[in-house]
Amino acid sequence: MKRSDFPILGYGVGLRRQHYSHVLETRPKVDWFEVISENFMVAGGRPLEVLEGVRANYPIAMHGVSMSIGSTDPIRRSYLRQLRELARRFEPAWISDHLCWTGVGGRNLHDLIPLPYTEEAIRHVVARIRRVQDALARPLLIENVSSYMAFADSTMTEWEFISAIATEADCGILLDINNIFVSAFNHRFDANEYIDAVPAERVVQYHLAGHSDHGTYLLDTHDHPVRDEVWALYERAARRFGAVSALVEWDDHIPEFAELAQTAERARTIFGATVQTAKHETLKNRDADSTEKTGKSALSADHRA
Amino acid sequence: MPTRLKKLESLLYRLITAPSGVAEGLAAERELGADGLDAIVRGDDRLSAQERVDIYANMYFYRILDALKEDFPATVAVLGGDSFHNVVTGYILEYPPTEPSLLYCGRYLAAYLRDHPLRDGASFVADLAQLERAILEVFHGPDAAALGPDSLRAIAPTDWPAIKLAVHPSAQILALDWRVSELPRAVEENRAWKPAERGAAKVLVWRRDARVFHRDLERVEAEALEEVARGARFAQICDVVAGHADVENPVTAMNQMLARWLSDGLLVRG
Repeated sequence: MKRSDFPILGYGVGLRRQHYSHVLETRPKVDWFEVISENFMVAGGRPLEVLEGVRANYPIAMHGVSMSIGSTDPIRRSYLRQLRELARRFEPAWISDHLCWTGVGGRNLHDLIPLPYTEEAIRHVVARIRRVQDALARPLLIENVSSYMAFADSTMTEWEFISAIATEADCGILLDINNIFVSAFNHRFDANEYIDAVPAERVVQYHLAGHSDHGTYLLDTHDHPVRDEVWALYERAARRFGAVSALVEWDDHIPEFAELAQTAERARTIFGATVQTAKHETLKNRDADSTEKTGKSALSADHRA
Repeated sequence: MPTRLKKLESLLYRLITAPSGVAEGLAAERELGADGLDAIVRGDDRLSAQERVDIYANMYFYRILDALKEDFPATVAVLGGDSFHNVVTGYILEYPPTEPSLLYCGRYLAAYLRDHPLRDGASFVADLAQLERAILEVFHGPDAAALGPDSLRAIAPTDWPAIKLAVHPSAQILALDWRVSELPRAVEENRAWKPAERGAAKVLVWRRDARVFHRDLERVEAEALEEVARGARFAQICDVVAGHADVENPVTAMNQMLARWLSDGLLVRG
């Protein structure tokens, strides 16, 4: 899998029920939508009708919350079948889910529970991702989750864990910038180190979201604006990874659509500014090289350009 | 099979879903060593290992509670927030979620409420929950092209007795013991609601243009519609209507019902 196998969708927003009518009636200016796969794994009715309407006007990506790729339960065939049928019908740019487990023993916790970062877990998850990719006949994107507990068994960092899995399973990464920030606080690691270590060629999408501060821990609630620190981390990611599709998630206390669209635009602006700065720095460095070699000034080189 | 991982996931599942909280769940774990949970989950000066698992336990319960509150607003209004909270506490112990979507969390709530002591103050509440669940299921039910009022005009009169119609696959007919139909509407419209009265009721829940409706059915209409659902021929449905002592003019009654079913988008080709 290469990053170039995937389109760059631009700056999108998570499609939520509160905005269905607005999106269908006004076709707001936003590049793309991400939909929660499970919300549309239904027999019929309004959700699928809405998705037909949205898909007619926008690219979409399908994002799951219950694949439970890290569970030791067998992968649910019915789930994969429904996911495959949904993908066949709506042709998403890609399908993603979380690097976690959500249930065991046939029971579902409806939460994203972290895995221990061990060789055993890597082998287990890699084999399952391969099976899922075979069943879906397309690469999967795995997302880093926010976590509130870490395990004594872990023998590596989270970024080593997700990098090893993505490389060995040959899948993509949905890098949730807010989740990195939340987990970095909760487990006292350096979020910058995470961004710097993830394999760039596998990062296909970002998530941007808000979180809640509970004093002793941060909670990934998706009910606040994106915090400045998360924007700073996004800027770092933009510098390192270049153009990557970005998406704003908001799941509780959902504001008017305009605010979500503005947040997506802010991501676009920050990326644009980052690229300009990077170009400027590259030119400056090139000019400095050129000055050393030819004796010409950087200013005259700039004018030539 | 990743045995260590399986053991870890099973332990965490038990702790997160422990009926009286993580602390009591831990006390019941006989196989944990001297270091207990600390040997498994890393705690620190900000949060102990147990407090970290507690975060997940709280999220587990409240995520399901919130989903059920959204799916059963009238049941919440009748029981009251605190009682509903207590009901859900017991409910998820008896019916822990098994499906990948929260949509399925409440599918046994009506059955659970039928025997719950809290229903004593509002004994119609199980029927109400059954109706609210049906509304949700019909909303997500299968699609099918509904027959419009004009669609049957081309049928020759001689063909009518043999034709078969079918009820839209998303529609449901509920057999209830309490007259609860008005309650969801009152709660949705923020009107004062009255406790439901006892009385057998057949309630039709159906979808038209992606919106869900429900109404009580007269006995004759319920029986006729159930015949349609069973795949009866039109002549048999007419016989059911004609056999009703309280139907003065079966032809008029049948025509009126048929017109309404068609206008409600309730019929599909059999």
